[in-house]
Amino acid sequence: MRKLVLAIGAWIIAITSAHFVLNVNWQVLMNDRLPEGQRKLNVAYIPVT
Amino acid sequence: MFQGFPEIKEALMSNKMQAAFMVAPMAIALRAQGVPVKIVYLGHRYGSAVVVRSDGPVHRVSDLRGRIVAVPSRFSDERLIVFRAMAANGLDAKKDLRMVEMAPPDVAGALAAGAIDAFSMGEPYPSQAEIGGFGRVLFHAREYWPDFISCVLVVRQDVIDKRPDAVQVLVDGIARSGLWLDEKERAKRHRLHAADFVGRFYYHQDPKLLRWALTNPIDRVKYEPLSPRRADFETIVNLMVQTGVLDHAIPFEDFVDTRFAEGAHAMTAWKYEAGDDRAR
Repeated sequence: MRKLVLAIGAWIIAITSAHFVLNVNWQVLMNDRLPEGQRKLNVAYIPVT
Repeated sequence: MFQGFPEIKEALMSNKMQAAFMVAPMAIALRAQGVPVKIVYLGHRYGSAVVVRSDGPVHRVSDLRGRIVAVPSRFSDERLIVFRAMAANGLDAKKDLRMVEMAPPDVAGALAAGAIDAFSMGEPYPSQAEIGGFGRVLFHAREYWPDFISCVLVVRQDVIDKRPDAVQVLVDGIARSGLWLDEKERAKRHRLHAADFVGRFYYHQDPKLLRWALTNPIDRVKYEPLSPRRADFETIVNLMVQTGVLDHAIPFEDFVDTRFAEGAHAMTAWKYEAGDDRAR
């Protein structure tokens, strides 16, 4: 039982870590937390001239 | 990066994005509807074309009668250029053809599949159809519209009011990039390098496609002059009114703020060559 719980816990930690690394844009999150006057401007574009 | 102009409009209005490149008529329509944004600079000039099937029956503009033509938005210069070209050939785009709105990345596939007869779109989609062998440029925008404008830089009014220095830095950077891309004898080398890094790191497109769009020929897309000029925008507003997407003409000053373009007037091209660690 103890081994099963450890395995599930390790799996959850691994998947959660991978999600934070691969899917979360930390630069955007940190930029949004800065005071308004210090934030980088977000500029939208589409891949066309 | 977005895939269509309507999503950009929503992101700008909700302040998720503070600035955006969008087709000029959409920016004008937003302003006419009271959305607090202003055009501060252009993204480029030219770079749009009407493309037909290479093995199809359309060989001249008058052959477009009764055909289906895709445009990126009813609020786009690519729609207006179709009206202009049809009028120059004695036809009325409203009555003589059917226009459908389509996200830019979808048009080349739709043409190849025969779902549409033609599309009017900015690069690199005309190039994509040419390289694929299934599309042929019927005409480039320049043939019917000297100094044609497509995408413009739009900034939220609250950002213009509170952070004019940041807006000026953005406009200066675009001005310097444009001068770098159009820098006389170095233009081709710079454009080939830009196609490589923009394709790989920004557009996620095959650099070969952007190399074609930026160099075949070298003035297929131009990056100067990028200052917003009154006469260019009055032409767009008048065409929007004539074609029924704007109720009434609005003054240039209501939707354009020229101070940042004036501030960027003395800018010089970036000093940057492939292999340099940074641009100066």
